[in-house]
Amino acid sequence: MFHSKKPATMNSHDRPMCVQGDSGLVLTTDPKPRLRWTVELHERFVDAVTQLGGPDKATPKTIMRVMGVKGLTLYHLKSHLQKFRLGKQPHKEFNDHSIKDASALDLQRNTASSSGIMARSMNDSNFHFTDAIRMQMEVQRRLHEQLEVQRHLQLRIEAQGKYMQTILEKACQTLAGENMAASGSYKGGGNQGVSDNIGAMKDFGSPLLNFPSLQDLNIYGGDQLDLQVQHNMDRSSPVLHDGFMPSNNDHNMCGGLGKKRPINPYGSGKSPLMWSDDHLHLQELGTTTTTTTSSCLGSQQDDQIHIDRGTDMESMSEMYETKPILSGNAMGEKKFDASAKLERPSPRRAPVSADHRINNPAAANTMPQGRNSPFG
Amino acid sequence: MAMVVDDTIIPELDFSSYTTTTTTSEDDYVCTWNDWSPVVDWEELSGGYDNFHDLIESMMDDNAELQGLSCNSVSSTDMMVIEEHMEMNSSSSGSDGGIDDFKGLRLVHLLMAAAEALTGVNKSRELARVILVRLKELVSPTDGSNMERLAAHFTDALQGLLDGACGLHNKHTLTNGPHHHHRDDHHPTDVLAAFQLLQDMSPYVKFGHFTANQAILEAVAHDRRVHIVDHDIMEGIQWASLMQALVSRKDGPPAPHLRITAISRGGSCRRSIGTVQETGRRLVAFAASIGQPFSFHQCRLDSDETFRPSVLKLVKGEALVFNCMLHLPHFNYRTPESVTSFLSGAKTLNPRLVTLVEEEVGPRSEGGFMGRFMDSLHHYSAMYDSLEAGFPMQGRARALVERVFFGPRIAGSLARIYRARGEEESCSWGEWLSAVGFHPIKISFANHCQAKLLLGLFNDGYMGEELANNRLVLGWKSRRLLSVSVWTSSDFDL
Repeated sequence: MFHSKKPATMNSHDRPMCVQGDSGLVLTTDPKPRLRWTVELHERFVDAVTQLGGPDKATPKTIMRVMGVKGLTLYHLKSHLQKFRLGKQPHKEFNDHSIKDASALDLQRNTASSSGIMARSMNDSNFHFTDAIRMQMEVQRRLHEQLEVQRHLQLRIEAQGKYMQTILEKACQTLAGENMAASGSYKGGGNQGVSDNIGAMKDFGSPLLNFPSLQDLNIYGGDQLDLQVQHNMDRSSPVLHDGFMPSNNDHNMCGGLGKKRPINPYGSGKSPLMWSDDHLHLQELGTTTTTTTSSCLGSQQDDQIHIDRGTDMESMSEMYETKPILSGNAMGEKKFDASAKLERPSPRRAPVSADHRINNPAAANTMPQGRNSPFG
Repeated sequence: MAMVVDDTIIPELDFSSYTTTTTTSEDDYVCTWNDWSPVVDWEELSGGYDNFHDLIESMMDDNAELQGLSCNSVSSTDMMVIEEHMEMNSSSSGSDGGIDDFKGLRLVHLLMAAAEALTGVNKSRELARVILVRLKELVSPTDGSNMERLAAHFTDALQGLLDGACGLHNKHTLTNGPHHHHRDDHHPTDVLAAFQLLQDMSPYVKFGHFTANQAILEAVAHDRRVHIVDHDIMEGIQWASLMQALVSRKDGPPAPHLRITAISRGGSCRRSIGTVQETGRRLVAFAASIGQPFSFHQCRLDSDETFRPSVLKLVKGEALVFNCMLHLPHFNYRTPESVTSFLSGAKTLNPRLVTLVEEEVGPRSEGGFMGRFMDSLHHYSAMYDSLEAGFPMQGRARALVERVFFGPRIAGSLARIYRARGEEESCSWGEWLSAVGFHPIKISFANHCQAKLLLGLFNDGYMGEELANNRLVLGWKSRRLLSVSVWTSSDFDL
């Protein structure tokens, strides 16, 4: 049947290396000859497959038997059947292939019947092709959207943190006023608490400093994300850091790690964390002062600490080194617990945050603010 | 119920070291209870005995099922041994988990007994008083395990009910116990510190704010003027992130003009108005700093705290949004009448969007006061646990948050269910909105995604859940705590 037809050689002109074998099969002249699936041959293949009950039921062996073309091997049929089956699914490789086939088909369209079949199969694969593209685009859109959401979330958290900071600063200023009136009276008793306070703050602050890093969200690969965060920081800093908080320039100058201006400890540099924790600390000690006085006391201690720091710290790196010394004694077991706890949920967490803080000036800028810092 | 008990009240309950294989009869329970609280004359309960007993029994059974250990297998003599053991350890507030858990269970039982004595069929104020005295000996709101601190707040709340000082409006008459404070009784800096801690330690505040804000952003994406009427603006922290988002939005006109009208309490609360003004100034400063066109207004509720829509100044062509944050942990309580007036007022103005945050409570219809009491206990213990799980080291910080926010909340909610006798209206505000003709708006993918990302920043136990397409629920383990829902008035098709 195949032989009675005119052998399909029409396309051999664009493949000078092809040789038509005795059986009418077109083979390449490679050392390892490959079969060229001409339209007619493919048509016969499709007929055979249909006859055998579809691509899923047909096997290379049965197809070979039904087709009865000399020179056609199981090897040829196997791979063609495989591709044919895949053609039923949106598979990229095969789609590329089928597009090539389809354009070849346009060149050599000669038989109505075969073109009918091919057109159908082509439409089919085209459909799968667009489907795949659509799916891929959808996935990409979602991914993009998630990234956007993530970026926005970061900015929103920062904005909220900034805003919260203004509230706290206002409160600190109010407190400073009250402090003036009550200053001095509890200073002696307070000294004992200074180192404790730092220890407590570290213990208290470190998990908070580290936890809300968006890099920890294991949705995407790390590199992309880092860029993203860097980008966020760059974007947000002119708007939020400099715009809203002019005093942040101070932090830029001094590296900003926990360094406070000794002159006005209640200004923007004042760590609300430290303040609130002093407060807690004193309450725990059972100091029977009123709320106001205990707050004031806390603030005074705070003041002292900052002056100390200010004198012997010049650069950010020095601060990193001296900080543990300042507070090391008082930290005790609690601190270790805290760091151990940090490592548990995500091994990536601590190092990433540290990098983040050191490498990224914008991030470093936000860090020193203590508890609210991760939010900017 | 069983799951909730396990997750929230008595984690890792372990009786293993105390169990024997002895089975007990009903009588052993009586014995046990007598042994447990020598101060209390349990015979007083004779009349309402069955009811009371069933509750305890169900409590015990719940735990037993979960732990695979039957409380029935603890014989009364063993209980006595434990009791002695506990007495020995109670002063050192034993770090032994088993003892702690056991004490926790015991506290729950004592609380239930007190609540039952106060409200049950067989009321006995005297018995309630005695149990509360005993409870106070055992707990303090500042020390001890989660359960102990929680029990302390519940004890104070029950004491408040007992003394008849349960009204929310006469809070200054509450003079029992050094720890019983309402939010306003705390020093402002305490409140602020607690607020900051709450925000950092838990997603509760941000979840509500960000989800609502995202819905707002989507609803007004193409508007030039946006007007938000805020039911309870508090510190105004919700709007910082919204402004930031408006300034940086890409599509639609850049930085639409934002107007916020804050509703302040009318009448006697002069302080509230001052606070709102302060918030306004702060918001104006913030908006200016990021280049967001912004104006701030405030309008008062009537003296009976009802809202009149006519007091709002509306501008034609602006997108109108009503924002109603009801039960965030740090918020003040507003009466249902006040909320109703606000939301029905909103309905008359055809807002583009209504954002609602409310507390999730268990099924309200069952159990009367005791049912609600237990529900409340579960609710707050879930909150306590969520804070503890994230920040196990910050016991003092948590105690501050609890004292400033949760203590008053517990007192308030117990007082309300006490007065209502468990018979208050049984629907959430979301259901109410739906009933008066608001239409749900779907929570977008982005919003969903944002909530998930946000929860991802906190502890693993938090879960976000979407209900009915327009409602995002925040929960801790299996307990739903808070939900955000978005609605529109019928005249808009979004």
